[in-house]
Amino acid sequence: MVNLTINGKQIEVTEGTTVLNAARQNGIKIPTLCDHPHLTPYGGCRLCMVEIKGMRVPMAACTMPASNGMIVETDTPALKKSRNVVLSLLFSERNHFCPFCQVSGGDCELQNAAYDEEMTHWPMQPQWTNFPVDTSHPYFILDNNRCILCRRCIRACAEMSGNFTLGVEERGAATVVIADTNVPLGQSTCVSCGSCVQVCPTGALIDRQSTYLGHEKNLTVTRSICRGCSLGCGILVHTRDNHIVKITGDYENENAGTLCKTGRFLALNEQRTRLTTPLKRVAGQLTATSWDDALATLAEKFSASKDKVAAVASTRLSVEALSTFKSLFADGLQAKQITSVEEGRPTALQSMVADQLGEAIEGKLDTLRTADCVLLVGVDLTTTHEVAGFYIKRNLPKGTRLIIIDPNENGMDGLANINLKPRAGTDAAVFSAIEAVIVKEGLARSAVDENIVSLKSALAVCELNVQDVTDAARMLAEAVAPIIVYGKGLTASGNPGAMEALVRLANVIGASDSERKGLLSVKGESNSLAAALLGLVDQLEVKDEAVYVAVGDDFVSKRLASKLEKVPYLVVQASYESALTERADIVLPVNIWAEESGYVLNAEGRLQFASAAVTAPEGIRSNVDVLKDVARKLGVTVNDDWRAALTKRTSVVELEM
Amino acid sequence: MTKPKISTDWMAGCSGCHMSLLDIDERLLEIAELTDIRATPITDLKEPDESGVDVGILEGGINNSSNEEVAHRMRSRCKILVAFGDCAVFGGVPALRNMCGTEEALKRAYVEAESNDDQGFIPSDPELAVMSNVRALHEVVPVDLHVPGCPPDPDVIYYVLKELAEGRMPEIKDEKLHWH
Repeated sequence: MVNLTINGKQIEVTEGTTVLNAARQNGIKIPTLCDHPHLTPYGGCRLCMVEIKGMRVPMAACTMPASNGMIVETDTPALKKSRNVVLSLLFSERNHFCPFCQVSGGDCELQNAAYDEEMTHWPMQPQWTNFPVDTSHPYFILDNNRCILCRRCIRACAEMSGNFTLGVEERGAATVVIADTNVPLGQSTCVSCGSCVQVCPTGALIDRQSTYLGHEKNLTVTRSICRGCSLGCGILVHTRDNHIVKITGDYENENAGTLCKTGRFLALNEQRTRLTTPLKRVAGQLTATSWDDALATLAEKFSASKDKVAAVASTRLSVEALSTFKSLFADGLQAKQITSVEEGRPTALQSMVADQLGEAIEGKLDTLRTADCVLLVGVDLTTTHEVAGFYIKRNLPKGTRLIIIDPNENGMDGLANINLKPRAGTDAAVFSAIEAVIVKEGLARSAVDENIVSLKSALAVCELNVQDVTDAARMLAEAVAPIIVYGKGLTASGNPGAMEALVRLANVIGASDSERKGLLSVKGESNSLAAALLGLVDQLEVKDEAVYVAVGDDFVSKRLASKLEKVPYLVVQASYESALTERADIVLPVNIWAEESGYVLNAEGRLQFASAAVTAPEGIRSNVDVLKDVARKLGVTVNDDWRAALTKRTSVVELEM
Repeated sequence: MTKPKISTDWMAGCSGCHMSLLDIDERLLEIAELTDIRATPITDLKEPDESGVDVGILEGGINNSSNEEVAHRMRSRCKILVAFGDCAVFGGVPALRNMCGTEEALKRAYVEAESNDDQGFIPSDPELAVMSNVRALHEVVPVDLHVPGCPPDPDVIYYVLKELAEGRMPEIKDEKLHWH
């Protein structure tokens, strides 16, 4: 511990704490601009200058570590004057005329800092230079005229998304924020995660969707969970008058404020047509009808074709909805087939292995933060589960190695230390080949199975080069904390041999042992794991069944639509029009994600509550309610105990619920 | 004690600050009671008394030689000079033309504007004021009090006038401090 005095107050903080954080922890306010609590201190704006006894000049509190016996003053007349000069210089550098800026009036940290210093005017006038405005990006605008060069956006780009797109060009007062080698943002390597917009203290980066729709003080914030994929990132949904204005990352969740394009922007870029009333096919035409009529019609049909019922649910539905769905169709109706839209492709294989072993085989997402070598198998984290990709990318400059095994082109190929492109479907052989090298070179970290496949035969199957495989094996074996991240590319094959070989490899390289589980699958949609735990993992094969599809607000894949093209009777529970609703016999309109609360179980088994942020248009019901309405009409009692339903089989990862 | 004399004028602005002044509504009567309102753009007298006033209030930035004259005249005839509104305080919206230069701005307005025919030209009558970069009031003459806002809130204006009327210097801070 370190003892210091700030403004006469005795303070004790842990070693390594900055003076700024020591002050903050003790309720002493030091004005800041370039500092952001979730980014590395930069020390650029000079607003947080403090006087430290014995130091010749004032020091930046944000970068100064507290040390024993330090005597700090934060609010002397000289410091007040210095802050006034710092702000005057900032205002004089660019076009900071407030009246037409979207953040003016409460959301601008620069303006607020000036108000705090009681500045009624700028002692120095602007230098009237035009700086570039970049409007080429689909989701946000970069206006260098409003930039104070705090580099928060640049740090966020590097430290949050690990993308390193933003940087600066020129020097001194001519410095401008640029993308890549000064190309328009819209044509740059930007992945549209929007972290830069979230951290910008001024109006230099503003997002198109929410601009001029209200200040923070006008917006209601609902803490919720992103439903974009199974990572379950924390989000804050900002609403006004029952309209979602913007979505930002929740700093208090595991993702620490980071989101991807899907979570931040695409969720508000909905182009599909909303379903607003129950529909029933009458004389070949879908016609609006009442809930009662729609439910009665489908109940009659399902009662009549009892032994020929199939049911499919989206893995975006809440845990409660999935459990009700399972209870209704499996236990209640004893449907011939009951599965999810994913048909277990991202989850079934590893679930089966966990079942056989009787224990969890996967670890937690935070293992990624400390991993020094990542083996990525069969998943492109630049197109799905992007935030997991960010966790990897942001560590690469710190020396974390990346090995990719993917027969297809992978968005992260360019970042990998080693790229292995085996023949498709030969993952088991690749793992065996790596294992064989490790065993041969005596690098194995766990007891070795005597009957391992020979390197030569494995290489013959996967068609990889012996040098690449050897390099990969050595890199993995040398790592202190390796982790294997895998996805649908591996599991969709349904080949148990591949999964077993992967588990064995994880043990051999020491990724997984009794203390640490460095094996992680990203799975599929929001509630992919919950669907697997409920056993909704079978391949869908339908011919003449009456089919009930609970799509919710999910997109309908071509694969699913074509499978259901010819079924004799189709009921679709959905929020939006799709190829499925077009050919449905009954359509039941339901809430979208933001309109209903419910639990989501993320890829690492963390159960989180997603809160509704807006209310649905009249006449639309929640997914759970609709399923319960159907059950009532069919005279089936559904089991509400979803917690018990989730724990019936061994989970692939330890559950936190 | 005699009532303090107040005079106002406007320069390169939109007169919105004076509109906001009128928005103090019935409190205008109170101010009129407490002060001697002299020359303003909305009273008959057009120039501050040569014998001087106690408070001079100027709206708008300084955009040409005419504005300069107004600013200097007010400064020389008042004891306390108030920069009234964002244009007087910072330069405001008119100052945005500094970004492209006066020549460009004139060309855009008189020659290239969509509403002009092809006979458009930049007025060059020697009687016209000479244009300059738009400046905040304090760049031309010393200012005693800055009241920012676009326009300043009527409640802030009332507070400022009341304080000045009663011989105190207003303090523009906290909820009274808004730049727009």
